[in-house]
Amino acid sequence: MAPTNRLRTAVRRCRRAVSRRLPGESTSADDSGRAVADGGTVTATDEGSSLFSRDFLESLPFWLPPTLLMGFFVYGAIGWNAIISLTDWTSFGTPDYGSLDLSQYGQLWSDPAFWTAAQNTVVLLLAFTVACLLIGLGLAILIDQGIRFENAFRTIYLLPMSLSFVVTAKFWSWMYNSQYGVINATLRGVGLDFLTAEWLADPSIVLGAVIFALLWQFSGYAMVVYLAGLRAIPSEHFEAARVDGATTLRMYWRVVIPQLRSSTISAAVVLMVFALKAFDFLFVMFGKYPGPGADILAVMMYRQAFSSLQWAYASAVAMTLFVMALIIVGPYLYWEYRRGEL
Amino acid sequence: MAQLTLDGVTKVFDDDGEDVVAVDGVDIDIDDGEFLVLVGPSGCGKSTTLRMIAGLETVTDGELRLDDSRINEQSPQERDIAMVFQSYALYPHMSVKRNMAFGLEESTDMPDDEIAETVERAAEMLGIEELLDRKPGDLSGGQQQRVALGRAIVRDPDVFLMDEPLSNLDAKLRAQMRTELQELQADLGVSTVYVTHDQTEAMTMGDRIAILDDGELQQVGTPLECYHEPANRFVAGFIGEPSMNFFETTREGDRLVHPAFEYPLPDGTAASVGDGESVTLGIRPEDVGIGDIAGDHAFPAEVTVVEPMGNENNVHLQFTAADGDADDFVAVVDGTEIHRHGEGLAARIPPEKIHLFGPDGTAIKNREPIDAEADAERAEQEPNGA
Amino acid sequence: MSTRTDPRDWLRTARETSNRRIALYALLTGLIGFFLLPIETGLVTALKTNDAFVATLPYVPPGPEGFTLRPARTALAELLPKMLNSVVLVIPATILSALGGSLAAYGMTNLDWKNQLAVVVLFVAGIFIPYQAVLVPLSRFWAIVGIGQYSPYAELVELIVTHTAYGLPITTILFRSYYQNFSDEMLEAARLDGASAFSIYRNIILPLSLPMFAVTMIYQFTQIWNDLLFALVLINQPAAQVVTQGLANLGGGIQTQFNAQMAGALIAAFPTLLVYIAFGEKFAKGVASET
Repeated sequence: MAPTNRLRTAVRRCRRAVSRRLPGESTSADDSGRAVADGGTVTATDEGSSLFSRDFLESLPFWLPPTLLMGFFVYGAIGWNAIISLTDWTSFGTPDYGSLDLSQYGQLWSDPAFWTAAQNTVVLLLAFTVACLLIGLGLAILIDQGIRFENAFRTIYLLPMSLSFVVTAKFWSWMYNSQYGVINATLRGVGLDFLTAEWLADPSIVLGAVIFALLWQFSGYAMVVYLAGLRAIPSEHFEAARVDGATTLRMYWRVVIPQLRSSTISAAVVLMVFALKAFDFLFVMFGKYPGPGADILAVMMYRQAFSSLQWAYASAVAMTLFVMALIIVGPYLYWEYRRGEL
Repeated sequence: MAQLTLDGVTKVFDDDGEDVVAVDGVDIDIDDGEFLVLVGPSGCGKSTTLRMIAGLETVTDGELRLDDSRINEQSPQERDIAMVFQSYALYPHMSVKRNMAFGLEESTDMPDDEIAETVERAAEMLGIEELLDRKPGDLSGGQQQRVALGRAIVRDPDVFLMDEPLSNLDAKLRAQMRTELQELQADLGVSTVYVTHDQTEAMTMGDRIAILDDGELQQVGTPLECYHEPANRFVAGFIGEPSMNFFETTREGDRLVHPAFEYPLPDGTAASVGDGESVTLGIRPEDVGIGDIAGDHAFPAEVTVVEPMGNENNVHLQFTAADGDADDFVAVVDGTEIHRHGEGLAARIPPEKIHLFGPDGTAIKNREPIDAEADAERAEQEPNGA
Repeated sequence: MSTRTDPRDWLRTARETSNRRIALYALLTGLIGFFLLPIETGLVTALKTNDAFVATLPYVPPGPEGFTLRPARTALAELLPKMLNSVVLVIPATILSALGGSLAAYGMTNLDWKNQLAVVVLFVAGIFIPYQAVLVPLSRFWAIVGIGQYSPYAELVELIVTHTAYGLPITTILFRSYYQNFSDEMLEAARLDGASAFSIYRNIILPLSLPMFAVTMIYQFTQIWNDLLFALVLINQPAAQVVTQGLANLGGGIQTQFNAQMAGALIAAFPTLLVYIAFGEKFAKGVASET
């Protein structure tokens, strides 16, 4: 009897995997009352036969051209970039692919500007992401209280996301202007003169000012993600906690936040990768050199490449950025794969 | 119109490195115009078999033949087969008319006006000509199902395949559609393979039924053949509602010994069962007589639950063994017979109606062929059985 | 899903609740102020004369003497030709990247073949790459191709191709998650009806994709219109500059005229703001799907 049972279990596992892939297909219940999808394709588990080779050929004209285009521009370019970073290419003329070495990286290692930029990048990454998640979560919780005009509030909080970073940088340059800007003018207006500062000129606070402006732009995104996550929690969980006598704070801390883990991870990855790329904003606000307080690797790379024409050096900086992104995104992709979300 | 043959058809899936045999060596011949029902419990492989016929799954081993030519390698597009899906699978953005015309547009060279005509005719046949300009989203479940049928009929295929098409309908509609489908198929005369897990549908609709369990074919035969001459214990228990009663016994000499009773072996059966072998004794609920009965084949039992069905009563009873173990079984009696919970009475298992199954489940003996006259005579001679 | 009031102590909790609600709405409204303040400030500053914006508080609208449309006109004169370039860029790039994404997603999702997942991963990973990692090869590549020298519009073509290629990962993944929810049985029915893969795409997938095209195109429109980095790298001739470059360059010179810059920022933001306000729901969908 045992082999039959093993067979039955295995087929049921097949079916369960299938029913996950086919939401909304009607199912029949087996004897134990568990829903079992009856009839559905078990995909990607068939041995190759002439039928499926045909399917493969049929599919090629659809996905191959975009994949080739994307592959060249994305992966081909990164590979090319890696090779360039091993050359000595500068200013005009063509790169010499004959002699490749790690000298650029050696130079990078001993360049204090690189380390400053790297440090700023990491600070930006972490502070911005954490703050953005917190604010986004707060906004989502507020919005989720069953308020009227919910759409209007959401629309306004998400609005900055629709703006270009160029536009945002212009607005906030004006906000932070030490003489006439909103921040300082308001502080002076209420008599808090001592709190005014050279927001953009003072290297010790400029990064904070930048982060604050970026939070303005991105909290709406975190809010949208968390809102979707909150809405996915069945209301019974809230009700059960209430019935159990939990205070609001407790309820959120113990019931809600643990269930937002996957939203948090996804949003965090996106935010961190954005922070790595935050070139547009800083470039418009400060030009190609934001100063030691706010120079990040993304801007440094641009400067080295298009201002100083140190192509190979810039490529090395870019590879560093790429590796940092890989460190963030790699585990995330693996985690998604494990969850079957791909 | 065609003869469809499944010759040793096998399907093996690769589930994370392990081989899963979903369908194991199924042999069935479907004659031209026949209505064959593939039936079995969930997970038995019937849908997979259907999908192999359609070309939606590849065949691992064995051969599929349509009119004696092998079709294993043909894509679904190439096979002249139409299928009605459980979820109807209509195209939500197309009108009913276009849904039905699509197959003809894609697989034939028919000119547009001919297509329109064919669609009209099929729609009339199914009573949906009023709905031709509507979209599937505006239709009820029953209407959608007809459109799905219409889509299949319009193609005039060699074979119809139906994958539990009635299971999404409510009970009344389902009963109505059952008859309609049968009439339709008889009118059109197209070979049909119909998959269901509902044995009532199988019994009422099929010219023949093929019973599958765990990927293996258990029996192919007419509904009555499968009912009265089940090939094994699985078929006997699967077909029939309420299910056949089974008692585990051991042969000792000229009787079958059960913890609660000893059943005299009928003449002629002694040879097929070895002494000391375990035998499953099967008897259909409608063949069990209960009441104030005496005789070698009647044993004391107690009523546990009575389910009044109107025309009949399903009476659940218990044999109690000497050591206190109880064996439950069911008797179906006329609706006018009154019984109560706790009532003690005798249950008679007529020897000419028993089924015997060996240790591996195969049928050793089935009941004697139905002979209404002989039954009536016997009932006259022994009003309370003997 | 809203907070529940305890029915047993109705009056007290009702009062408490209504106090809480008031606080909630006050907070939410305050946040509106926070989110709109920079824009509002920009708006009023854009309408002030040089003297006015020095003299008045930055978020206060200009008085009658301080009001002027000159900064707006200056900004418009500067930015309008660049906006046209942006339009020439955005329309083809959006359409092509959306269409490419739809085709690629169909080929990888609704059609079945081995090792699809590997290709899918390439696309997903492609969403996250920092563009700095491709800038040098990119500029080198287009220099080698060398069409940029013929006309400013050739540079725009370079930009169109670039944005299409880099937009494919996100558009493909957006469509893929949409196509994964398509009924497999419906597509199987189409195959039994005799439809080829292309016919299925044209007659079934494409018509049913229209909502997703809207989402994807709105998202891409916003991303491409707002981009600065690729434009900086690829567009060297002033005649081909797009609006983001134009805005970035506004404010050159020693005296940064904030009023003109604010006007320019609003003008440059106008199309995406319009799209956002008109199609906010779809925009939110596209944004949330990045996760």
